[in-house]
Amino acid sequence: MPEIIIKYEDKIIERVVSEKKRISIGRTPDNDIVLDNRGVSRKHAQIEFNDNAAVIIDNESLNGTFVNNRKVGEEILRDGDEITIGKYNLTYNSQVQRDESGAHLDGTMVLKTKKQKELIKRDQYEKELVQQMGGSVLLGEENTDFSEYQIDQNVTTIGKAKFVHVHVKGFMLSGIQAKIVKEHDQYSIVNLGRKGKTKVNGEPISRQSLKNGDLIQVGKSVFTFVEGR
Amino acid sequence: MKIALISDVHGNLEALEMVLRDIEKQGAEKVHFLGDVVGYGCNPNECVRLIDKHCEIKLLGNHDYAAMGLESTENFNQLARASMEWTQTTLKQKAIRVLADFEMDAVFLDYYLVHSSPTEPDKWRYILNIDQSRVHFENFSQAVCFVGHSHSPTYFEKDSTGQITQHCKPELAFNDGSRYIVNIGSVGQPRDNDPRACYVIVDTDNKKMNYRRIEYDILKTQEKMRKAKLPDFLIERLAVGA
Repeated sequence: MPEIIIKYEDKIIERVVSEKKRISIGRTPDNDIVLDNRGVSRKHAQIEFNDNAAVIIDNESLNGTFVNNRKVGEEILRDGDEITIGKYNLTYNSQVQRDESGAHLDGTMVLKTKKQKELIKRDQYEKELVQQMGGSVLLGEENTDFSEYQIDQNVTTIGKAKFVHVHVKGFMLSGIQAKIVKEHDQYSIVNLGRKGKTKVNGEPISRQSLKNGDLIQVGKSVFTFVEGR
Repeated sequence: MKIALISDVHGNLEALEMVLRDIEKQGAEKVHFLGDVVGYGCNPNECVRLIDKHCEIKLLGNHDYAAMGLESTENFNQLARASMEWTQTTLKQKAIRVLADFEMDAVFLDYYLVHSSPTEPDKWRYILNIDQSRVHFENFSQAVCFVGHSHSPTYFEKDSTGQITQHCKPELAFNDGSRYIVNIGSVGQPRDNDPRACYVIVDTDNKKMNYRRIEYDILKTQEKMRKAKLPDFLIERLAVGA
């Protein structure tokens, strides 16, 4: 029986084993695999099984379905393929790898783990926060002065100087290390100061457009970008 | 100790080089920069490098701020905007990294330094007359505030009775009991009908200062600006200092 392992930030939160011919993936509870996160569409994608082949089909979702980091519309799945949907990574195995999950029962079983509950809670919190602050927000995750920063101006400065909007910590940082700019309703982050000190999802950047949920690191300070809708 | 204060270089390399040479001749131990190294003129990268090399305190001006894309040029006049667009495409990443370490204001001894005004430095207000100066005297605690921004060498004195007077004299001896806002003029684009580059030497031991006016090769600067296709008005104003 095929197995799908659902991971969030490299932690397994569910193992889904199914005998069904078709597994639906989406945000709403009527899906076989429920990924409750705003980056996931209501009916995001489905996996269809026939003649020993598995095919993933993206339902023209807003944020796309990725197989091994490539955006796909329809794609045959191979053993060990990594599917990315929103903040989740799904690993496809044509056979259950180990008989320890306890999840392979009739049909599909979704385990509501503690981690997933936290995720749902966090997503709800982000929704409320964006509504409350009336726009996009930086959440302070590590080494920040505040737990949230409103990004309502056209340019938000980030750095070590006293006068910047978002003050950060760390060695060898410039006074104005980076800026977040809003252009045509799209936010981008630009490194202005010393090279390599501004990272998005772990990668040093010079300029990069921001997506909801992106992890921004400037020096030792870490933020999550929450996009206002 | 003799300290040189310079401001509003605006990419004018010939003026800056002559001023730095004069500062050395005057025996000033330190040079502090009050902002606007770029904008208007055609050597922004070279001027950033020289300011970074020679100055201890380095402040941001509104043109530097805009050149880094931190502010829209909506509040700039048409000519300033045209030259800013040119500056943004000319300015190298290396120069931007240097500017990223400039400060908004600074204090040394009993002097406060800021580009535009002590009241919300990043709002870039002008202090042009006694009426305008009144509120700004409330927003710094030191005896003297040095500013640039308006390109007009002039100073305001608030005496112990609270009365404010404005002066345009080449020298100033700081009176105990008085407080001052001093505009140090512009190196690269003077606007007081004297085309010579302007800066200030402060004698901190004897509590006095004087303006220095330095000739430079204006024709050479103008020729380079013409080649860079910068607006005519910006080129012509250098010859008259207006």
